[in-house]
Amino acid sequence: MRSYISEFESKEKPKDYYTKIIEELKRKNAELNAFNIINDEINSGFPFSVKDNICVNGVESTASSKILKTYTPPFDATVVEKFKHNGFSFLGKTNMDEFGFGSFGINCEKPAKNPINSDYVAGGSSSGAAIATALLKYHIAVAESTGGSISAPAAFCGVVGFTPTYGALSRYGLIDYANSLDKIGFMARSAADIRTVLKQCTGRDGKDTTSSSQPLTDNPKAKLTVITELMDKTDEKIKSAFLRFLDKIKSLDYKIEYVSLPEIEHSIPAYYIVSTAEASTNLARYTGFKYGFKVEDFSKKYNDFFTEARNQFGMEAKRRIVLGTFVRSASVKDKYYVKALKIRRLLINRIKRLLKDSLLISPTMPIQTPKIDEVKKLSPTQSYAMDAFTIPPNFCGFPHASFTYDYLAGMPIGAQIVTDQFNDYAALSFIDSWENIFDYKFKYNIGAL
Amino acid sequence: MKIGLEIHVALPTKTKLFCSDSTEEAHEPNVNVCPTCMGFPGSRPTLNKEAVRVAKSVSIALNCDITNRISFIRKVYFYPDLPKSFQITQLSECIGKGGFIELEKKKIHLRRVQIEEDPARIIRSEGHTLIDFNRSGIPLIEVVTEPDITTEEELRETIFTLRTILYYQGIDINQEIKADLNISLGTERVEVKNVTGIKNLISAAEYEISRQNAILLNNGKIEVETRSFDEKSNTTKSSRKKESDEEYGFIFEPDLGFYSTEDLETTPVEMPTRAAFELARSHNSSYKTILELIAFDKDALGILYKYEKKYDFKSLIATLEIAKRFNETKDANVFEELLKLVINGIAINQETVNKIKKGERIEIRKFSKDEIDAAILEMLKAEKDIVKRYSKNKNVINFIVGTVSRKYGIQPRDVIKRVEILIDTLQKVEV
Repeated sequence: MRSYISEFESKEKPKDYYTKIIEELKRKNAELNAFNIINDEINSGFPFSVKDNICVNGVESTASSKILKTYTPPFDATVVEKFKHNGFSFLGKTNMDEFGFGSFGINCEKPAKNPINSDYVAGGSSSGAAIATALLKYHIAVAESTGGSISAPAAFCGVVGFTPTYGALSRYGLIDYANSLDKIGFMARSAADIRTVLKQCTGRDGKDTTSSSQPLTDNPKAKLTVITELMDKTDEKIKSAFLRFLDKIKSLDYKIEYVSLPEIEHSIPAYYIVSTAEASTNLARYTGFKYGFKVEDFSKKYNDFFTEARNQFGMEAKRRIVLGTFVRSASVKDKYYVKALKIRRLLINRIKRLLKDSLLISPTMPIQTPKIDEVKKLSPTQSYAMDAFTIPPNFCGFPHASFTYDYLAGMPIGAQIVTDQFNDYAALSFIDSWENIFDYKFKYNIGAL
Repeated sequence: MKIGLEIHVALPTKTKLFCSDSTEEAHEPNVNVCPTCMGFPGSRPTLNKEAVRVAKSVSIALNCDITNRISFIRKVYFYPDLPKSFQITQLSECIGKGGFIELEKKKIHLRRVQIEEDPARIIRSEGHTLIDFNRSGIPLIEVVTEPDITTEEELRETIFTLRTILYYQGIDINQEIKADLNISLGTERVEVKNVTGIKNLISAAEYEISRQNAILLNNGKIEVETRSFDEKSNTTKSSRKKESDEEYGFIFEPDLGFYSTEDLETTPVEMPTRAAFELARSHNSSYKTILELIAFDKDALGILYKYEKKYDFKSLIATLEIAKRFNETKDANVFEELLKLVINGIAINQETVNKIKKGERIEIRKFSKDEIDAAILEMLKAEKDIVKRYSKNKNVINFIVGTVSRKYGIQPRDVIKRVEILIDTLQKVEV
């Protein structure tokens, strides 16, 4: 186990430590688009970055959307408040796919680039959080996942990305994508650092009705379950690397079991129905006159006024608004929205049964890190299919974490571990044991001491 | 004719429905506001339990089935007064289902009672429109009736009855009532939206009835549409034709989840309608008269309960009518003194009331025959032609008796005895 947080605390820092970090970070940022805002004034403490859809008091928070340009919330998200309270220092707001809509980090004004090779995607939607974690030696990223937005970029950038049980952390201060699915989580260079901050942030918050007071547990399981339907969707090179990984894992005394779960096929469409239905209502509030982008001409008719404002949305945001508005319209609601909710209930029950005596394991992504030019050519459904492994735990609110298990041609590849609801620490303990026999490689170590 | 109502009522809570801002009337716009009721990105609603408790109590008073596990929905539409572009309201898992408002002779059935947030206030002026978010997030209940109302009289009675029930719940809606009116004389339903105030609601119904009547008389077709009420002209105007129901894209409100109402304690509240029914039945009296006396006066009901067994009920009601005229129902002892005077046939004026309140004894003075005659003669002299009017219409005697007894405090029955005799003598003298 390696704790960068305690390592950092034990070391002497030179006087110009933070100035140097900021300088170097800004230089890398110009190339990779990791940060929307870098806090020049940081001068003490362990740095944490915040995904741009999480509010920091007095700091522009745009969720990487043009429609929220200049929106400066007058309050801290509860998680941010807890970080500040525990002596961490705010480093900046990280780039993302607009409102979290994307798996590659390119659905925004400044597409994010992979820190290992900038021709490749960083993954999304928490693209900047993953890049920042890959760049900085001493740093924690506060990120957010709705359908895989922590796992995907963590896998592509080679860092540990953890998404807690739905409700384990307060969502107060999160700019909503889909309220029944959004989870604030973390990225770091080790599972131990995530454990430290998870302990500090979890628990019931009066400002978020859905936050839970149920304590998180660390119940180990000796069995790892692999869902065969997911393996069938995996690219051949990834598959053979993953099988090699499973062999290594056996040496840690885990039993591997293959299980068929045909219902998992429904998780992608059902997820996109529920998430877009909720997203289309959340995005309804952006009408161009109270905050963010402002329509100048107040003499316009309401509809024209709103239309001008909402033209600021990017293509993927528009697509999800249209899709979400459709699936909840009266004539088809039962066929789509209501049915999708039933599928979620069913999937939760099925997966819960598997998680009783095992952990689920799969590759994080079905493909190797793609190039930016390649993903631009993908159709929306091809893009959505990339979330096949990250959607089931996200859709069902199960805690999960992605970590690097190998490198193919220098690029990291990630695996995802899923545990039962509120058994969050078990996922981190599993990664602890993996880190005992495997060393992550980092190209950058900005701020090393 | 069928009329259904959707009535919005603000709940008397200290804070708003989903945040802790004050609900009190502010002297400045946009001061009772926070990120939540302004719909700022990152903010989140948390439910005001007191609002749910009051809504539960009202739902019980309206004979609804109470939903044990309530949830909320998002009703999505674009309008500048709606900060999130969706209103958090209720539908299938609303606080109260079914129920009825009991009128004297029929029941107006209810579909549901739902809890929802009020939008902001729009202030329109010449050349610009302003928005005041102080009102945004004020807790409301919406009472949705079945289209059971079939006459204007029933419409008035429904609103009156609902108002008195709410009054006993501690909610005085008076002119603050906001309602949508569904009204159909034929088969097609017309909705008149956002009518404010009881007078306007009645005017809107009256206008709509005559408008639809005229169309039907000319063999025309009534169109399904939404109309709005114009206060200046007392008419309704078409605001939107519709081919199908409005599309609000309702979805479950995931930020609030489910809320159990079982543990919310409500104290039983007196039902004025039930009280009026019971009193009318046991004293063979008029329901309507009793209800009108007690509708917005809990003390009046208290007085009726206190003295119904001790005194003659007709005198009790008569005294209550008098006491209400002088605004004197607070003090049951003062009332009892008044009641004794009324029973003794003493006319009550402001002076009498003042004396009673000061604790002064009212002499039930006996007048001699001569005194009574003198008083009557003085009155007859002062009112010229009164004798002539009397000879044409014998009912004029009531006016004479009333005037004399009020002025001198003589019991009416003593006056009556002498009036006819005196007039007869007067006429004989003239002859």
